[in-house]
Order: sequence, then C-alpha cells, then structure tokens
Amino acid sequence: MSELTLLTGFEAGSTIAWRDGRPIECRQFLADAAQLAMSLPQRAHVFNLCRDRYCFLVAFVAALLRRQVTLLPPSEAPGMLLDIRKQYGDAYCLTDQPDCAADLPVHRYPAQSAVVTADQSVPSFPREQVAAVVFTSGSTGEPKADVKTWGALLAESAMAMKRFWSDRPRPAGVVGTVPSQHMYGLATTVLLPLQAGFGLHSARPLFPEDLRVALEQVPAPRVLVTTPLHIRACVVAQTVLPDLQFILSATAPLSPALARQAEDMYSTEVLEIYGCTEAGSIATRRTVEGNVWRTYDDMRLYQHDEQYFVEGPSVEQPVALNDVIQLRSPHEFSLYGRFADLINVAGKRTSLGNLNHKLNQIDGVVDGTFFMPDEAPGTVSRLIAFVVAPGLSQQAVLQALRQQIDPVFLPRPLYIVEALPRTESGKLPRGSLAALAARLANKRKRKKSA
Amino acid sequence: MPEETHLESEVAGLIVETLNLDIDPSEIDPQAPLFREGLGLDSIDALELALALSQRYGFKLRADDPNNTRIFSSLRALSEYVRAQRVK
Repeated sequence: MSELTLLTGFEAGSTIAWRDGRPIECRQFLADAAQLAMSLPQRAHVFNLCRDRYCFLVAFVAALLRRQVTLLPPSEAPGMLLDIRKQYGDAYCLTDQPDCAADLPVHRYPAQSAVVTADQSVPSFPREQVAAVVFTSGSTGEPKADVKTWGALLAESAMAMKRFWSDRPRPAGVVGTVPSQHMYGLATTVLLPLQAGFGLHSARPLFPEDLRVALEQVPAPRVLVTTPLHIRACVVAQTVLPDLQFILSATAPLSPALARQAEDMYSTEVLEIYGCTEAGSIATRRTVEGNVWRTYDDMRLYQHDEQYFVEGPSVEQPVALNDVIQLRSPHEFSLYGRFADLINVAGKRTSLGNLNHKLNQIDGVVDGTFFMPDEAPGTVSRLIAFVVAPGLSQQAVLQALRQQIDPVFLPRPLYIVEALPRTESGKLPRGSLAALAARLANKRKRKKSA
Repeated sequence: MPEETHLESEVAGLIVETLNLDIDPSEIDPQAPLFREGLGLDSIDALELALALSQRYGFKLRADDPNNTRIFSSLRALSEYVRAQRVK
C-alpha cells in the first residue's frame, strides 16, 4: 500500500505557522500533533471544530495519526451536528473553544504546547486512508457526506501547486479568511501549505484591519486566500495591505470590476477558484481576463445528457456540477450561474429544498417558503421567508429556525403572511414571490416613515 | 437627550439601516446580545457593520478573533467602543 508524506519542503526548523505574531517551527508542530494524538479518546470519528487554523491543523494531523476520520460540518449549528451524529454515532467534538453548542462529548485542545524531543519524524499516511468527511446540506434536509481520502486531498494540492507556482517563487506563507472546515479553506490554507512547503497564519481575520495585521506578520512573498466579501471590504475601507504575491478568491462570484479595483489598489493579481465540496478545486481564472476558466491540468469536464461532470485524480468518481456551464474544451469553460435550487450565502451552501423542509417542520407552520432575491455583484443577498403560521410570532419562527440552520441562511426579513401565492398546481412562481417581496418591503417602508 | 443615549440611538439606527433589519431602532435592547441570540447577527453582518461604522466615525475596527466579537456583544458595548475610538 503506497503512503504519502505529510510534509514536503520543510526542515525541522522551518516555520510552519504564525500564531500570536510568533513563528512556530516544524518540529514543534510535529510534537504538538503527536502529543494530541496520544491523548485522543478511542473513537473512529471526530468533529474538528477548532477555529484557530494552527489548532485545526494539529487536530487534523492528530486524527490522521490515530486513524480517526475528521468530520467537517458546514456549520456548528447544534441541529446540524446532531443530524450528522445519527450516521456517526461515536463522533466527539475536538475544539479550541470553551464549549460546544451541541450536547456531544468534547475533547478540549490542550492549552500547553508539547515538549519537542530530538526525534520528531515526519509521518506518512496510506493513499486510501479516509482523512475527512465533508458535509453539505442535502436537498431533503439530511446532511450529505463526501468522503475524502488522503490520496485525493494530496492530488488536489499537487495540481494547485503546479497551477500557482510553476511560474512564481514559492511563497513564505498564507493568510486565510475562510474557515478550515470549508473544503476551499481546508485545501488552500491547510493542506496546500503542508505540501508546498510554506507556513500558514493561525488567525482567521474578519475586518480589513485584522487582515492587514495578520498579513504583516507573514514575510513576503505572501498569499491571501479570501472571498469577494472580504475583498470588497478592503477596497471600500481603502485598507493598505503589504505586498501580495496574489489574492485567491472563491465561494461566490467575483465581479470583474471589483477584481480590477483590487488588482490596481494592491498591485497584484486576483485569481479565482471554481470548485465544489464534492470535487474540491476544479479550475481557476484571473478574473479581469474574462469568463474563461481553465481546469487544473489533470481535471477534465464532460457533458452527459444535460448534465456536466468533472473527473480527475482528486475525485474517486465523476462529480456532477451544479452550475450552468458552457464547455469550450474538456479543459476550458465559461460559467453562467448556479441552478436555481442551490443557495450560496457567503460561501455557505444549501438548497432551497432543504431550507423549505426545515421551515415546514416547525410546529405551527402551515405553509412557508424561502426566497432568494437577485444578487447585486460584490454584496451578499439575504434570504427572505414567507410563512403562514397562525398563532406564531415572527420571533418564534426565527427562534425555531435558529436551532436548525446556519445563521447566514436566517431569513431577513421573515414575513408572516396569510397565504402564499401558490398556483392551482401548488407551485410558487419566482415572479409571484418577487412581487410579494416588493409589496411587503414597500409596506414596511411606509410604516417606518409614517 | 444625554450624549450617551443620543449616540446609542444613532448607532442603533446605523445597525438597522446597514443590515436592513425588520425592526425600529428603538426596539433594540441596549443590553441584549447583537449576535446569535438577540438580533441573531453573524460575521457577515459584523463585516458590513464594521465598514459602515468606520465610514461614519473614522476609526478602524479590529476583532482579532471574528468569533469573539466582544465589541458587538451589545448595542451599549458597541456604542461605548464608538465613543472611545471615534475620530469624527
């Protein structure tokens, strides 16, 4: 059975992370992972909920060392964790936070660093070892699991390395604003550094000023892995950032105008990744160059009936894509948005089917639907919900939803209505919902100005 | 109206306007948490709000840990932070 090494391009004294402004050496990381591995309970599945990226990395490797499978939920909503646990009954939470929102066994990330001994060997793991299961919200409400083997994850890293650094010097480090638990974050801010031999910043900066501080703690050349939201925030706030080798964006479409502004302001290139949880990163483009995406060299797209699929070394089987695509060649395509049922708010994905299912499960809700207004580029559109629920207040419905769905999907606003504009066949045409939304928004405005 | 209360309602207005919330600014309980419970705001809101605050009051907001949003713990805490940091 062939094994693949955890680290490439590191020596014992190389910096593998920056935490609280200080570098952490590779040998310290190996000691931390070995120590945590020894303390883990004897179980097969672990939710890695660590928010600090270095803690996440150590916990991820500790799980690999113990042959435990890391579960990566789309959110920490208690209902989500408990739903997943129905399938993985022995799962426990490994967290660097004081508590876990769900009522599950918790193993706390240790407060103390491990003592480094002379011999810290670099582990390797079998290609076939299941490293992680990444979850998305399925259309029926049950979380959908995607199994990632160690070999598949490293195949993605290898293709990304070739794409980004064939013509550029290797960077010293990366700062990411996306969670490690998200497939894009896991691939680009945790695994890619290990395989390409550069360090990661442990923080997940949110505000532009946090971003500046984190980037300044990483020596050049440095890379920023982020989303259109954060890019827009930096551009609007006119935040001065240190030199960047490039900015990587994913999770939502980036407008060429915003990409151009960011490229000019930061004298760098803005690159975008196209991918999905099931297949990982698939293709890239430089946004200002237009709507032509080039797949990673070993990934290939093809059409079967009305559906597009991707295949390559990072996927076990061909994966169906949920986007409207025009294929130019197996390695080049244009993107024209998502299928209507798919919802993506700031990189968190679910489906209208799932949200509507959860909404209609609430005691007292007679009928209800979510509605996604059209999105203006560079901003985040929030969902709206229309609910028929005699006797329930708006707050009560929201409170019940909060237990079940990620906060980014909470409707804003949620309207209590007498009936939904259903057609005779029971359908809810998008146009009728848009009209209802406009009418209710107007009514609200009048009430406010009255 | 004392200066403190005035700033508090000004910040409340900014929150409602920026985040397009379905409430009147005066309905925000100054002591209640803005995130999760309470108004149920999330980190995207925090980012939007930080932008609006920095443009209105001219200071740069830091969170260090996006999930540890102490400044956003309540309208009162946020208003106090604004009072201490504002440059315009």
